[in-house]
Amino acid sequence: MKPPPFDYSAPTTLDEALALLLEHGEDARPLAGGQSLVPLLSFRLARPSHLVDLAGISELGSIVVDDGHLVIGAMVRERAAERHDDVRLLAPLLAQALPLIGHPAIRSRGTIGGSLAHADPAAELPAVALLLDAELVAQSRDRGKRTIKAADFFSGFFTTALQPDEILTEVRIRRPALRTGSAIEEVARRHGDFAMVGAAAMVRLEDGKIADARVALTGVSDIPVRATEAEAILEGAEPTDEAFATAAEEAAKSLSPPADLHGSSSYRRHLATVLMRRTFKLAAQRAKEAA
Amino acid sequence: MQNIAERYTGASVKRSEDPRILTGTGCYVDDVRLPGMLHAAFVRSPSAHARITGVDVTEARKLPGVIAVLTGEELDALTVRGPGAAGMFSAGLPMPSFSVLATDKVRLVGDPVVLVVAESRYLAEDACELVVVDYEELPAVITQEQALDPAGPPIFEDLGSNVLVRSPVATFGDVEGAFARADRVVRAELRQHRHQNVPMECRGVVCSFDLGSGELTVYSATQGVHIARTGFATQLDMPLEKVRVLAGDIGGSFGLKLGAAREDIACAAASRRLGRPIRWIEDRSENLTASGQARDESFEVEAAISNEGHILGLRVKMIIDTGAYPGLGGMLPEAVKGMIPGPYKIGALSFESTAVITNKASYIAYRGPWASETWVRERMIDLIAKELAMEPLEVRLRNVVTRGEPPLQMLTGRSLVGVTSRESLDRIAALVDVEAFRRRQAEARAQGRYLGLGLATYIEAAPGPRTPGGGGGIMGPEQMRLRLEEDGTVTVFTSQMPHGQSHQTTLAQIAADEFGVPFDQVRVVVGDTDVVPMGFGTGGSRSATMAGGVSLHGARALRAKVFEVAAHLFEASPEDMDLAAGAVSVRGVPARAVPLGEIARAAHEPGRVPRDLEGDLEVTAEYDGGEGGWAGGTHAAIVEVDVETGQVRIERYLVAEDCGVLINPAIVEGQVRGGVAQGIGAVLLERSAYDPDSGQYLSSTFMDYLIPTACEIPRIEIEHIETVPLDADVNFRGVGEGGMIIAPPTLCNAIEDALSPMGVRVTEQHLPPCRILELIGAIALDP
Amino acid sequence: MSTFDVELTVNGTPRQGSVEPRRTLADFLREDLGLTGTHLGCEHGVCGACTVLVNGEPARSCLMLAVQARGADILTVEGLANNGVMNPLQQAMWESHGFQCGFCTPGFLMQITALLVENPNPGEEEIREALSGNLCRCTGYESIVNGVLRAAGHDGSPPEPRH
Repeated sequence: MKPPPFDYSAPTTLDEALALLLEHGEDARPLAGGQSLVPLLSFRLARPSHLVDLAGISELGSIVVDDGHLVIGAMVRERAAERHDDVRLLAPLLAQALPLIGHPAIRSRGTIGGSLAHADPAAELPAVALLLDAELVAQSRDRGKRTIKAADFFSGFFTTALQPDEILTEVRIRRPALRTGSAIEEVARRHGDFAMVGAAAMVRLEDGKIADARVALTGVSDIPVRATEAEAILEGAEPTDEAFATAAEEAAKSLSPPADLHGSSSYRRHLATVLMRRTFKLAAQRAKEAA
Repeated sequence: MQNIAERYTGASVKRSEDPRILTGTGCYVDDVRLPGMLHAAFVRSPSAHARITGVDVTEARKLPGVIAVLTGEELDALTVRGPGAAGMFSAGLPMPSFSVLATDKVRLVGDPVVLVVAESRYLAEDACELVVVDYEELPAVITQEQALDPAGPPIFEDLGSNVLVRSPVATFGDVEGAFARADRVVRAELRQHRHQNVPMECRGVVCSFDLGSGELTVYSATQGVHIARTGFATQLDMPLEKVRVLAGDIGGSFGLKLGAAREDIACAAASRRLGRPIRWIEDRSENLTASGQARDESFEVEAAISNEGHILGLRVKMIIDTGAYPGLGGMLPEAVKGMIPGPYKIGALSFESTAVITNKASYIAYRGPWASETWVRERMIDLIAKELAMEPLEVRLRNVVTRGEPPLQMLTGRSLVGVTSRESLDRIAALVDVEAFRRRQAEARAQGRYLGLGLATYIEAAPGPRTPGGGGGIMGPEQMRLRLEEDGTVTVFTSQMPHGQSHQTTLAQIAADEFGVPFDQVRVVVGDTDVVPMGFGTGGSRSATMAGGVSLHGARALRAKVFEVAAHLFEASPEDMDLAAGAVSVRGVPARAVPLGEIARAAHEPGRVPRDLEGDLEVTAEYDGGEGGWAGGTHAAIVEVDVETGQVRIERYLVAEDCGVLINPAIVEGQVRGGVAQGIGAVLLERSAYDPDSGQYLSSTFMDYLIPTACEIPRIEIEHIETVPLDADVNFRGVGEGGMIIAPPTLCNAIEDALSPMGVRVTEQHLPPCRILELIGAIALDP
Repeated sequence: MSTFDVELTVNGTPRQGSVEPRRTLADFLREDLGLTGTHLGCEHGVCGACTVLVNGEPARSCLMLAVQARGADILTVEGLANNGVMNPLQQAMWESHGFQCGFCTPGFLMQITALLVENPNPGEEEIREALSGNLCRCTGYESIVNGVLRAAGHDGSPPEPRH
């Protein structure tokens, strides 16, 4: 199971990398951690003519705090983010999500940006980015930088808003408001597998009521989705089990999840209901504790 | 130097395999490097069933670095058609004619069509993409119904239909009478799903044909070098003496790596053509798709029972899906029929079976190939218990045989001598405290939690009791050569071919004990047809008895011969010889001891000993299994089913097993746990899935074929039942397959017990989370 | 296709080779450097048999290109023993009868090495979770867990038979 032939460059600056992408056109691809791309190469499902390795571009590898935003460079390894204090403090949902990604050996190489740009519908990070209203910054040689909202970033099955000559350079996450709790839970066949369905939820409480509830689902569509019906039902509601159950059931009605070897469409819809309920409850509990 | 006063047999002696395993210095087939070695890859069919109408290899041949591209037709001309490895299992069955690689048609997704040989596997795969094969699609025969349909396209035209064999109804006892007087009849259609061996190492071979000598040397990952050798010799039309098969370390097999595979033969033929070594290492997609699969059976079962829970009779109809090319499937129903009564007093049995051919990978041996007999029987017992509102344990106790009381034989003929099934049930009952569990279960249900208890009992012929025709189980007697070397060590040449079973340790333990040297003075040689005795190799849970037995008796025979030689040197009588601290002396005169090595040297010196003792100080021993015996036991599992997600957590798993005298407890327990893990995998995770319309294989990567990880397998508590010795010396029984035979029904019984408040009746062995929710009615069954 | 020079350190020794970009690190180690201890069980990053340490972190060498390892410090199973003397982890696994066929073993040893550096005294759950990305088909994992517990200073001895 060996990759087909391709050419390779290892630029040390972002400008170099962007120039290479432009030069080699649509058949060139950036190489981040390789944990998704290399198996595709080994299966010969991806056949880029040229790989542009981003690992040598140090400006893509840092985590900084900038004006209440956590700014994570696209080439930050998932394991490094997992261990980083600022991630735990400023993006608790991300900190909860990272250990769910595969296994340590995957996370030591896999990158935040790579996972987002790969946009696997079962992956955790796209759902987290969507839930947190993250801003993804992309850059091209000819058009410079642009900021893409997470809601606009994931456009289809393994497809994002990134143009072929663009590289995702960083993701910006605003720190959560006070009295906010978050939770992420997934159902996978085995520990560390891609989730069949996952839910990431955040709840903000004010005067004991839900001021803001949000939930993003993986595995129910070709992109991560916000269950907006559930969010609407919960706004202003008491954080009770009944409320969460009702919200989850209503939201699940509009889902048409895919079916595969691991689960039917009905199964995934059912899991979405269960996981929305569970993550709302846990997020609300954590919001209470945060107060 | 080890203290040889301690006895090795029965102790968890550290393995002699481990230093190389743990330092990464083992030699697996993918580690073999020969000068001038080339690399093979196969063009494989993307279609389940199609006629090949054209093969164009021109572009592939032109690719730089490609040395040869051989089509199915070309290889057909270089080889002799034959049943291959399946021939071992197919006596008396219809055998289609087929070529080493597909020529006229392809019969499964992954069927090999063209062989590419290149300077690297990378280049070989590049060239494979340049081969153009034209296919004319045929309807895929995937389900049993499709295979049974006489209007369906025969997968092998020369067989005419996809029914390989229908065996007539066999009856034992008075079946009609049993059903006539039954208080009730419990019926079920039981499905055993297809899954597969999946050793961590895929198949592989390095074939090296020497043009000068006309000899073929094969480095193989195989469970038996002699069987592989016969396969190569036959299909390459070569004399056996010109073929040598070597095997080093093997990364697991579980029945997969038996004989010479079609791909192996193709590589050997190509090596002969090119005069260069050729390496083929199967990748995981090939392994999952095309290497072979197992356990694809369905059953219609009726049990005639009394209201007290006695099983008066069984009617069983079996259909087995043998896949495309011949494998083990055709003969397996015989083994299932013979074993289905297990250790129980079944009054009567009728059994009929049909074996069908489909466009799937061949049905091959997988750790306890006949295991569906235990699945069916143990599932039925629980359904009977449910019908009568009795504890499943109680139904088992009422039907299990008691040693010393009739029946002394299984309904299907084999003696039940030494069976300790009742003892194992009693032990599990003591360990579990069923009443306490039922209380806990009720409390949990009140809180919306679903716990279940399941148990199951089995016996396996490991190697089985002595039969009138002689012992040795189905694979015949076991041979061994043992030799005392000039350095005082003992070399043991065995036909066993360990691939995880630790024979280099266990056989040395026995030989060391019986001969009288320290464990580290015994070296066990495996895996070279030039040097090891003829024999089946390793499989069938027979090596503990057969190889353990021949090791015991052979070591004694070697000791006797050493004493005979020493007696001449001492001018004494062999009865007066003593062996202590690596030296032989006349008993009572230790000061004049002669080191063992010198005795061996003396035998090499002309004139020092009589002619008939001159030469290597060696014996060849053969063992027929002695009284043989059964292995078996009872397993129990306590599970919790999350009825919101369908996930199953195994809270506790217990084993009460009897595998005779333990040679090395740690090794025995490792075998049990490994087998149980595969059984858990079968129920919760593993399925070899085909699209029923296109015949596409759906479980072709490790993202879809899921084997359990450390988070899915619990600690497994193992108790050893005191065995009934049947033989004066050899009471080791096999243990390799048992865990995998009994774990699936154990777990399925536990899951059904957990879900009994919802009225769930488990009739299939594969219970992933989605299926569990369908069974409890929490979700609809999607079309 | 052009080839690239790869210089890196493997088991403390500077090594080098010249490879196509598509050559995986696993194949580079096995074929170009002759270090066949690292095994290939799936070549798509699931089984973990190919696990090595890259700059101290566990990585699946089948999911890395050799060119990505330029300048890296790699530790493979061959680097664990010192002049043929097995290290305490290897000794512990030997005493605990950790493995059977041995094919998964190098990957496990490297992953466990990484685990014990990060967490020298892991509990059973932590061990199982940390090793859930390494597949073993022979053992059912219990003996491996026992070996890790033993390496971490607990008693992971193999059983006396219980009658």
